[in-house]
Amino acid sequence: MRAIKQGLGRLMAALLMSTLSLPVLADGTVGWPEKADLKFGFIKLTDMAPLAIAYEKGYFEDEGLFVTLEAQANWKVLLDRVIDGELDGAHMLAGQPLGATIGYGTKAHIITAFSMDLNGNGITVSNDVWQAMKAHVPMKDGKPVHPIKADALKPVVEQYRKDGKPFKMGMVFPVSTHNYELRYWLAAGGLNPGYYAPDKGDTSGQRQADVLLSVTPPPQMPATLEAGTIYGYCVGEPWNQQAVFKGIGVPVVTDYGIWKNNPEKVFGVSKTWADQYPNTHIHVVKALIRAAKWLDENNNANRPEAVKILSRPNYVGADYDVIANSMTGTFEYEKGDTRPVPDFNVFFRYHATYPFYSDAIWYLTQMRRWGQISEHKPDSWYMDVAKSVYRPDIYEKAARALIAEGKMSAGDFPDFDNEDGFKPPQTGFIDDITYDGHQPNAYLAKFPIGLK
Amino acid sequence: MATLTAPQWMAPYQALIKGQINRSQMQAILRQVLWPVMGIAVFLLMWQLAASHIDTSLGKFPGPAAVWEQMGNLVDEHQQARQREAAFHERQEKYIAMRLAQDPDWVPVHRDYTGAPTFFDQIGTSLITVMSGFLLASVIAIPLGIVIGLSSTVHAAMNPLIQLFKPVSPLAWLPLVTMVVSALYTSSDPMVAKSFLNSMFTVTLCCLWPTLLNTAVGVTSVSQDLLNVSRVLRLSALAHVRKIVLPSALPMMFTGLRLSLGIAWMVLIAAEMLAQNPGLGKFVWDEFQNGSSQSLSRIMVAVVVIGLIGFLLDRLMLMLQRALVWDKTSAQR
Amino acid sequence: MKTLLELSNVGMAFDTPKGTFEALREVNLKIAPGEFVSLIGHSGCGKSTVLNIVAGLLQATDGGVILDRHEVNEPGPERAVVFQNHSLLPWLTAFENVELAVKQVFRKSKSKQEMRDWVAHNLELVHMAHAMHKKPEEISGGMKQRVGIARALAMQPQVLLMDEPFGALDALTRAHLQDSLMDIHRQLGTTVIMITHDVDEAVLLSDRIVMMTNGPAATIGEILPVELPRPRDRLALADHPTYNRCRQRVLQFLYEKQRKVAPLPRRDTTPVRRQA
Repeated sequence: MRAIKQGLGRLMAALLMSTLSLPVLADGTVGWPEKADLKFGFIKLTDMAPLAIAYEKGYFEDEGLFVTLEAQANWKVLLDRVIDGELDGAHMLAGQPLGATIGYGTKAHIITAFSMDLNGNGITVSNDVWQAMKAHVPMKDGKPVHPIKADALKPVVEQYRKDGKPFKMGMVFPVSTHNYELRYWLAAGGLNPGYYAPDKGDTSGQRQADVLLSVTPPPQMPATLEAGTIYGYCVGEPWNQQAVFKGIGVPVVTDYGIWKNNPEKVFGVSKTWADQYPNTHIHVVKALIRAAKWLDENNNANRPEAVKILSRPNYVGADYDVIANSMTGTFEYEKGDTRPVPDFNVFFRYHATYPFYSDAIWYLTQMRRWGQISEHKPDSWYMDVAKSVYRPDIYEKAARALIAEGKMSAGDFPDFDNEDGFKPPQTGFIDDITYDGHQPNAYLAKFPIGLK
Repeated sequence: MATLTAPQWMAPYQALIKGQINRSQMQAILRQVLWPVMGIAVFLLMWQLAASHIDTSLGKFPGPAAVWEQMGNLVDEHQQARQREAAFHERQEKYIAMRLAQDPDWVPVHRDYTGAPTFFDQIGTSLITVMSGFLLASVIAIPLGIVIGLSSTVHAAMNPLIQLFKPVSPLAWLPLVTMVVSALYTSSDPMVAKSFLNSMFTVTLCCLWPTLLNTAVGVTSVSQDLLNVSRVLRLSALAHVRKIVLPSALPMMFTGLRLSLGIAWMVLIAAEMLAQNPGLGKFVWDEFQNGSSQSLSRIMVAVVVIGLIGFLLDRLMLMLQRALVWDKTSAQR
Repeated sequence: MKTLLELSNVGMAFDTPKGTFEALREVNLKIAPGEFVSLIGHSGCGKSTVLNIVAGLLQATDGGVILDRHEVNEPGPERAVVFQNHSLLPWLTAFENVELAVKQVFRKSKSKQEMRDWVAHNLELVHMAHAMHKKPEEISGGMKQRVGIARALAMQPQVLLMDEPFGALDALTRAHLQDSLMDIHRQLGTTVIMITHDVDEAVLLSDRIVMMTNGPAATIGEILPVELPRPRDRLALADHPTYNRCRQRVLQFLYEKQRKVAPLPRRDTTPVRRQA
């Protein structure tokens, strides 16, 4: 009898506790953050802008959060520090939460409820390679026709290989957007970027490769290219424009040209952290959504101010002009060949901040395509992984709270009541292959180069 | 001659002012002032000349003028950061008042400024870290050195280990320290940051050895006569160590401590750079990564400041040595 | 004759890499209270070994030393030593050097003030009151040795052991210190064993001169009583027949009977057994 009473008491207490800690209160506002002192990591890239803006514009403080932002040495250190709790969250490559959760590299359940930006990367080759490529690039009015395809690179790579020089390029991390974009671009041009075989202990990703890809941290890309260790690289800004400014390389294609409005970075936290601090997580996402909106507001009107903030040494730290080149809607290819690319950096438009399941599944298909996922998986597996990592539910709570507070309007967001997390089948890839997130295996089957 | 008392070194200058300067005093002034100033001037000139001929991808290598300008910028940035800090505290007070109004049970927390550390903040962090690591190393090395010096058995047992670990580079220790600290230091609300502990322990591991070895040598080489005095007086073991061994070994110990502090400072910069721990090393690495047109000048500022601090730390130890050690000849330069 | 200190059949053998070296054999000596005895002999004859055995710094491998009915096994302040090169702690002042010894010996029996007075008193005894707060590096060699003597005397030893205390000093300073030592010996009646190789010093200061044969297996060759009245005055003694006869005897012993021919023994030697 006593035991039952005690049990009931415990149940009541538990129920009471759970109501108290319900993140979203009845009026649509969010409870106080459980943890107010937060440290977020970032890599020195322009797409960390939402974090810098949320800090500088006081959006974090509006949410009762006291955030410290800290630059990290490389993507691995950043991920490790999120996993071991030194960082509360971080600017991450979209592939990082997915890779960590399925156990490619360090295994840990990482989730994301906020997508940080679309596009923003480019592929740069050294001046020598560009000179050799140029002959094969279609021209119009004396200027190269963009987007340039890897078909133009293929004869150059063959020449290098004939001369006994393996053609080496850099990307920033095995599960980085850049790795997949560079591979996509090379493969679309008939160049095999090489396969991974983790089940055979081979994580170099250079099996059967025409082009050898290796990891270099973003800020070191220009120096590595200059040193001749690599002949080209795929990286985020400002490190492509930096090559143009330094006169050591020429960007040949942006990721906007490879896949229009491709999802890029995400804001990742560990699952443990998110479970422990649900309110805090929502508050963070609220601040980031406002920052992203500010970045795109009034047709990029705030971008010059954003560039000024980013060029401070504690954020990206590159010169104003270098960052401004891409952030303000233009992109300089060959020196002097500056073209408008208004959507080079998208932070908010096109629902850029919403964590679409279809985006997660695209990354998973590329992991399978290049062998990081070592065996065939059913479509349902892709869906399950996407749902355990991408958390539009948390995003929705944040968005609804912002709407309730009058800081944003419903029109800023997807129609949550009818949103299933899948973008309609997407075109706009450089090889004109259509992607439908509902059918990952059918999508994989369409590639001439790549595992199925 | 060992103690440079004020009147003694000032004498030539007083003579110069009075116009009664003799040849030897003139030479003293030349040696103390003119030649060093000339040396620095020639160095600055060569630097300026060489710099204008080195083209890096970040522009020309910075000359003294560019570095001086960045020094000014860093001071400005520091002052701006302090203003932002004041504003931050003001906003925080407002937030606390607002939240208390809505949530009366809440216990307010007053936080430190969350902005990025400035160059001068990083200097402070580095100094605190180096001193902590150095003190910890001393606390370990001095007693251990005494035991090793007193007992030939312990010496024989420890010697291979000391010889093995002494030459290990900080870069090799760092990953191990990082992993061990992560494994053992798992407080959810840590008193001090893990990164601080990582740097500190790496510094400790690397700067332990000179103090340890010099203390041991100092203890071993206590003169036989003094040991006999101790025996005739029947000093207890503790009194023997306190009255005879420690004072005898003090000059050697200080030589070791000075070497250790020098190593500690060098190691710290490398450790901060590699482990991305806050401090001057991190400042240098961040600037290198920024790759802006000012980065090289700012790194040069850091280089000069690192050198200056290393020099001042050594002088500090020397002053301490002069004040504390009976054997003035051991603290000449 | 009453005996304060007795060496009976003292022998000392050192283990060396070349084999056992016998330094001393069958040294027998009885010393009366208040007596001033000099040990004289050529370098390496084992004088210092004898002194160190009495001091307890070395353990005889044969025989033993009895002081006032107790066997000597270890060093102690009742057998205070004045070392050849003063052995003051360089980081302490003259006063503090003596104080260290006084505190060690009289910690229980004297008050703090009494100990301070006793330190000062002993420094005055050796005429060092004026420089008692100077450090060893600030005073001359003779003064250092005076402080060394003050330190030893301050322990109120039963026997004062002096190992060539004035060997490193110039002739004039040495004479001053010898006079001081004679004064002190007369005032305090301390029993003294002093090593010297200065014949005049031995005759001037001693009641008996113990002459040692050359090693290996050194032993006492001859004991010469010096029957000169005290107080002694070095100028008056210069023409004294007893003084000259004593001097003559010692010189004969050293330069006729014990002409130095044997090579010096190795210095880095260790006793065969430490515990007798």
